[in-house]
Amino acid sequence: MDMVIANNLVKTFPTPEGKDKRAVDGLTFCVGEGQIYGLLGPNGAGKTTSLRLLSGLMALTSGGATLAGYDVSTQPHEVKRVLGFLTANTGLYQRLTSRELLIYFAQLHGMSQDEARAKADHLIDWLGLKDFSTLRCGALSTGQKQRVNIARALIADPPILIMDEPTLGLDVLSNRIILEYIKRERDRGKTIILSTHYLDEAEDMCDYIGLIYNGKLVAEGTTDSLRAQTDEQRLSNIFLKIIHAREQVEAAIA
Amino acid sequence: MSSLHRIRTIYQKELLDILRDRRTLIAMIVVPIVLYPLLMVGSLQAVTIQESSLNKEKYIIGVVGHKQKDLLTYLLQWDAMLAAQEKPIDERVASHPDDEAAAPLVELVKIIPIKSEAALRVNIRERAIHLGILFDSNEFLKAIDQQNGVTILSDEAEIRGQYVTNRLEKMFKRLSDRLVDQRKKRAALPANFDRPFDIEFVNLSAPQSILGQILPLILILMTITGAIYPAIDLTAGERERGTLESLMVCPVPVIDLIVGKFLVVTTVAIMGATLNLASVTATVYFGGFDMLIATSGEGLPLVTMLLILVCLIPFAVLMSAMMLAVCSFARTFKEAQNYVTPVILAALLPGGMAALPAARLDGVMLVLPVGNMVLLTRELLLGSAVPLGHLLTVLFSTTLYAVAAVAIAATLFGKESVVFADSGSLKTLFSRNLIKPARQPSVAMSMLYVSLLFPTWFFIQSALSPAVDENIGGLLEASAWLMPLLFVLMPLLMLTYWKVSAKQSLFIKVPKARHLAAAILLGCCMWIPAHELNLIQYGLLGLPQAVVEQAESMAETLQALPFGGVILMIAVIPAVCEELLFRGFLMGGLSSSARKWTAILASAAIFGVFHFMIFKFLVTAMLGVVLGYLCWQSQSIWPAIIAHAMHNTLAVMSVVKPAMFESMGITLQEGAHLPWPMLIVGCVAVVVALLLLRRAAISQTRSVMVSSA
Repeated sequence: MDMVIANNLVKTFPTPEGKDKRAVDGLTFCVGEGQIYGLLGPNGAGKTTSLRLLSGLMALTSGGATLAGYDVSTQPHEVKRVLGFLTANTGLYQRLTSRELLIYFAQLHGMSQDEARAKADHLIDWLGLKDFSTLRCGALSTGQKQRVNIARALIADPPILIMDEPTLGLDVLSNRIILEYIKRERDRGKTIILSTHYLDEAEDMCDYIGLIYNGKLVAEGTTDSLRAQTDEQRLSNIFLKIIHAREQVEAAIA
Repeated sequence: MSSLHRIRTIYQKELLDILRDRRTLIAMIVVPIVLYPLLMVGSLQAVTIQESSLNKEKYIIGVVGHKQKDLLTYLLQWDAMLAAQEKPIDERVASHPDDEAAAPLVELVKIIPIKSEAALRVNIRERAIHLGILFDSNEFLKAIDQQNGVTILSDEAEIRGQYVTNRLEKMFKRLSDRLVDQRKKRAALPANFDRPFDIEFVNLSAPQSILGQILPLILILMTITGAIYPAIDLTAGERERGTLESLMVCPVPVIDLIVGKFLVVTTVAIMGATLNLASVTATVYFGGFDMLIATSGEGLPLVTMLLILVCLIPFAVLMSAMMLAVCSFARTFKEAQNYVTPVILAALLPGGMAALPAARLDGVMLVLPVGNMVLLTRELLLGSAVPLGHLLTVLFSTTLYAVAAVAIAATLFGKESVVFADSGSLKTLFSRNLIKPARQPSVAMSMLYVSLLFPTWFFIQSALSPAVDENIGGLLEASAWLMPLLFVLMPLLMLTYWKVSAKQSLFIKVPKARHLAAAILLGCCMWIPAHELNLIQYGLLGLPQAVVEQAESMAETLQALPFGGVILMIAVIPAVCEELLFRGFLMGGLSSSARKWTAILASAAIFGVFHFMIFKFLVTAMLGVVLGYLCWQSQSIWPAIIAHAMHNTLAVMSVVKPAMFESMGITLQEGAHLPWPMLIVGCVAVVVALLLLRRAAISQTRSVMVSSA
């Protein structure tokens, strides 16, 4: 079953010149249960906007999407219940400890205080946050913050995770830890959409890859099928080749 | 999880968060505890130091020529001698209370003879000397009836010149009193010969009057100061630190988030204001300054301080809501600070208006935001009796404004163009192209309009309320014209602008026969329990004579007007307009995020208060509940309009054609109860009507809408 269905997503932003800019332009893809879907693309391609549309943080201009069968536009609350959301620059409450923060978010997801405490302690254990769970978030390192953030996204044990460049700005060690977390969640049967521009990381992690460029999906498939399409081995070369071809097509049209 | 539970969770977390912030603590605790004592002690000492230095300084007085110098020296010495002779040393101070601890003037001044009057003037203007004195003649005090001209030249902006002027003025008064006594004795006149009036001024103002005038304004500032930081931190701060995103992906309605945050801001504002007040109180009492603040010798009662604290709460509520609404619009801390400044100024303006001594707590002032609270605080501080109706009007209008501000905050807080900086400019918030068509107005929209309409309508009503011998007919007509404009047309324009379907949001739908039957039953019989309820309410609150007289004069005027016109103006037009506004626009808007009974009860309470009659509030609110239920169950505005119009018509007829009712054996005057068979029939009819409505299943569309909100 497809846990995430994005159908012809369109998002336009008004520009100061009065024209609309299409940040996401007819994006369509599906993600099956237990898969990691990599959404790749250069900066400004529309990855972040697409993920915000899927999570209901932004309203769609047109098109539709469902998460676990819930419609993003008409059932935003249900969608938020089945979704864990994480970005590279999601902040934490500086003046709360990691444990307090996790308990707070658990309660916002409808758990009682006791349930929330148990859940927070479980996640602290599961993600190895014990060393710094009693420190205030403001005192944590970037890597530790991102680990707490992952715990925050997992707090309600949602079946779907949307991660927007979760490893941006992390050192090798923290990077590895975060990716391990993500794989572990996939192995527990979660559906994950991962956006990144670390291509090696994507190659290593993703079951399925969608290349996005100028708000459009320009190529999609498993790493192997993309290799076959382009006669290139490394994902970075595949990426460049597809985008180059696309640019030529667009130039020809123009 | 219930809304209340969620709000509590948010409240607890935000309060913990904000109280752990060093900046909050400094602003809230350290500043008042250190600042007030410092300010009070410091400024008092500064005053004392300045006074004592003025009492010791040398002052230069200029005169024209040496003769006049001698004359002045003579007068100064005479005064000093008189003072020394007449009073024993220890009482001398008391006889010159203003010159307390001051040396005799003769010791303080240095007299300089100057060539001409022109040169004297120049010297004063250049501040080379403090003061100039001109005597009109060098032959001073020669004859018994001689009047001696003395001109004192000074620069009013020069504090030292003023000081000497004051003391000279007193000196001349003493000397002249002395001379008058001598002259009266010489002419053998009685002592009171030149005092035909003995005037005494007695000040009866309450001891804290000066404090009462300015304290309310200080309170506004104190409360605002407390609310600013948390309001910014909890909204714009959340956005700036990137935590808003994680909050917005939680399954929590934005209104719950905002209400939780609003309560925290209010709490912190009240805590801050309490600490400020405690610090002021402690400084005043332990510093022994209470005599200085109060005008009479009784000092400042502690109870007053408690009273002020109680008045702070509605202030804090309104201020917090306003701050939150403004800050919800900002993306960064800096931006929020920029928005807050004009709001503070805007709040101080009505506050300042109300602080004017002539301002009274009545008329439009009752509903003037902030201003009404300032006046209420002042009245309470001065110990005046505030009528219950006035008190409730102030509190209710303040609550209404606060609710509207919170609703606006909730609308702005979650908007994506505010959440994400890359999501286009803030202009998009107001760009009509981006507004999505909706079935219902938002809570913010309907509350904002109703809270703007409230003071407007109040003003119109009090402006139109007939004076004695005025043409009520014309005024009624004006009201009947304004009502469709303000209650229907304006909301319709708003709905059109925001692309809300007027048909759906105002429940324009053909009703079912069953609902119409219920409406007619209610229209015919609602007045029966309403009449009895009215009697109960009058019994509890009493009915002022003025209201009775007004009703009687109204009845006379109405009887003189054409019957059809009266019915149209008083019964039908208000029924249509009020239903479209309160049941359609307001209840519809509330239903977009509140539950059924919350929407019905809240709109009914507002409906009740819009009648501006405390003596009728209970009954109008109850009618509002019944009409709201009628509208909700039928999902159509028509039954409510029909019932309302019929009810109004019966009420008008009971006034205009009492004979009709009397022929049925009903007397409606003088608080008489209805005959009991009629009472039973009426109540049964109402119950039957309600049962008819109860059977109706809640419409599918509405329940879907409520769950998706």
